[in-house]
Amino acid sequence: MSGSIVLNWLASTPDFAVPYALAALGLIISERAGVLSLGAEGLMLVGALAGIGAQIALGQPAVSLVLAMLAASAVSLLFAVMVIWLRVNQVIAGLALVFFCQGLTSLVGSLAEWTNHATDGIGSMALWPLSLLPGAGRLFEQNAMVWLTLPIFLAVAWFLSRTSAGLRLRAVGENPQAADAAGIRVTLWRLGAVLAGSALVGLAGAYISVVSTKLWIAGMTGGRGWIAVGLVIFARWSPWKALVGALLFGCIEALIPQLAAAGVQLPQYFVMMTPYAVTLGVMIWVALARRGGDDEPGALGQPYVREERR
Amino acid sequence: MVDATLAAIAQPAHTDADAAHRALRQPLAQRRYALEIRQHMGWRLQALILAAALLVGLAISAAILVAAGVPADELANEFVMQTFFDGQNFRAVLFQAAPMILVGLAGSLAFRARFWNLGLEGQMVWGAIGATAVSMWQIGPEPLRLPLMFAAAIGCGLLWVLGPAWLKIRLGVNEIISTLMLNYMAANFLLHLVYGSWKDPKDNFPYSPQFRTFERLPEIGAGVSSAIVLAAVVALFAWWLVGVSRAGLYLRFVDANPRVAHANGVPVRRTIYGAVLLSGAMAGLAGFAVASGQEGRLTQAFYQGYGFSGILIAFLARNNPLAAAMVALLVAALFVTGRSLQVFYQVPFSMVQLIQAIIVVCVAASDFFIRHRLRRVGGEQAQ
Repeated sequence: MSGSIVLNWLASTPDFAVPYALAALGLIISERAGVLSLGAEGLMLVGALAGIGAQIALGQPAVSLVLAMLAASAVSLLFAVMVIWLRVNQVIAGLALVFFCQGLTSLVGSLAEWTNHATDGIGSMALWPLSLLPGAGRLFEQNAMVWLTLPIFLAVAWFLSRTSAGLRLRAVGENPQAADAAGIRVTLWRLGAVLAGSALVGLAGAYISVVSTKLWIAGMTGGRGWIAVGLVIFARWSPWKALVGALLFGCIEALIPQLAAAGVQLPQYFVMMTPYAVTLGVMIWVALARRGGDDEPGALGQPYVREERR
Repeated sequence: MVDATLAAIAQPAHTDADAAHRALRQPLAQRRYALEIRQHMGWRLQALILAAALLVGLAISAAILVAAGVPADELANEFVMQTFFDGQNFRAVLFQAAPMILVGLAGSLAFRARFWNLGLEGQMVWGAIGATAVSMWQIGPEPLRLPLMFAAAIGCGLLWVLGPAWLKIRLGVNEIISTLMLNYMAANFLLHLVYGSWKDPKDNFPYSPQFRTFERLPEIGAGVSSAIVLAAVVALFAWWLVGVSRAGLYLRFVDANPRVAHANGVPVRRTIYGAVLLSGAMAGLAGFAVASGQEGRLTQAFYQGYGFSGILIAFLARNNPLAAAMVALLVAALFVTGRSLQVFYQVPFSMVQLIQAIIVVCVAASDFFIRHRLRRVGGEQAQ
């Protein structure tokens, strides 16, 4: 009996972990190029709304997810123009983006009457030989996006650390002055990083609406974007550590319904606090455990102003 | 003369490598304009640019509202005439302005200490919980009840920001994340109370029992709550604190450069703690102003939107307390208009959030034109 609870718990973990993982990965791309992207919460909402809208209109999950990525990228263009060309403070611009998106998505969602409109999402996909294992086989029956997340991580990690383009992107985030002097177009690389990163954040949001819950409710991301921002700090801007962190958060979130199903009585609202409390705890732990080497991109949060000598 | 200096400042940024790189791609003659940092701009022109940005923001917002189905002429009538020139609605704006002014001041005080206090909503929630606790448990005699609620709100707001302040100053924990996480935790604790032991036994709705008359901020005139007086007094105090007092001078030092301030003997840590804790206290008071001045009880979602409004007000007012009070009045007018649009045209309340965000974007973008200018360069050099 208790064994099956553990299995259920582990089997439902990836579903909770994927949004954190994809959003954190998107943020890492943007922040490695030096743009502090606080707008994740808003972009996830844009992705979630665009995804469900496309799903209601077309009914093709793959198309919906791609459209959601494009929508989040398009909205992040506003943020990119503000921080890259107009040199607006990145914290203010990021916050403005979140509230812009919160307002926009809830306005569009209610005008288009997409709220609480249930759709059919995507089914589960069994990873063939492993899914035949007795008992543990259930762990390998996940939806296609869960399986797709791993190659996305591989590709981004490989891009950032093994390609010369990735090196350029990191140079722009580490020391834009030097990168500029070496002939790297700082503004274009930052623009690309923000757009690509935002696409992944939008995908994370669309996963929640299209794949997980299969409906739209205003503000449905409920702070997951902020948690992803914290997760990136926890992961020290490394994709693989972010994946581990996302799994950790997925485990914690997946545990709550399992405990409830097992009949454990917990005060509901304290249980709902746990992801936020854990994030806070993780931030404190990171601060306490910080060793000599600091992996934060050197120019994170600073606008690059060519006209100003520093 | 000035132009020559500016050119001298702008010139060195184009390094040799950069120039060589560009020369390969295009003839210099094509680069007719260069962007440069302005050294100074008169306040009149600055104000003009700011006003233009506000107008652009409002125009975009109006266009969105019209697209959402509000008739254009009704919109002008609703926002300008009804909100400012109708006595009853103007009182509604004043009513709404009290907590707005308080969160705006709270935001600007913390930002002056370079502390991104995004936890205004959580501190507001705790302020309201503290005030309500005094009412629920009937602490103190009746004439002292209101001052005790006031003190409890200050204390609770202050304690809720103490943690992030300590974590930031001692351990360098990012205060943006910590204060935001504490918002979500405070909101859930509020739900725990209003759906749990603090639920009104009379009708079982998720709010606390109504405050008694002596637990409510009294009206000072027909329909005008004394909460606005409280907010005005706090605004004057904040103005004195940052503009006149020694602490304000320290705060300006810390804002300019914490390291230099420390080297000059400014007690940097104490100054930051003071500003951040006061910020939490003011946000707590905002919670008190809503609970005791508006709702008359603890409700489940009273705080929503105030956090961003506080940040917006502080940003638009350049952290200046008196300017913050003025901007807060405008934001309050926006809130009141938004509510009536919601009633008459079914426009969702998130529209208010969207309009605020658009205004922030426009004003932030306009800053670029205050700080930079385009200058013709290179015409004759290239030939």
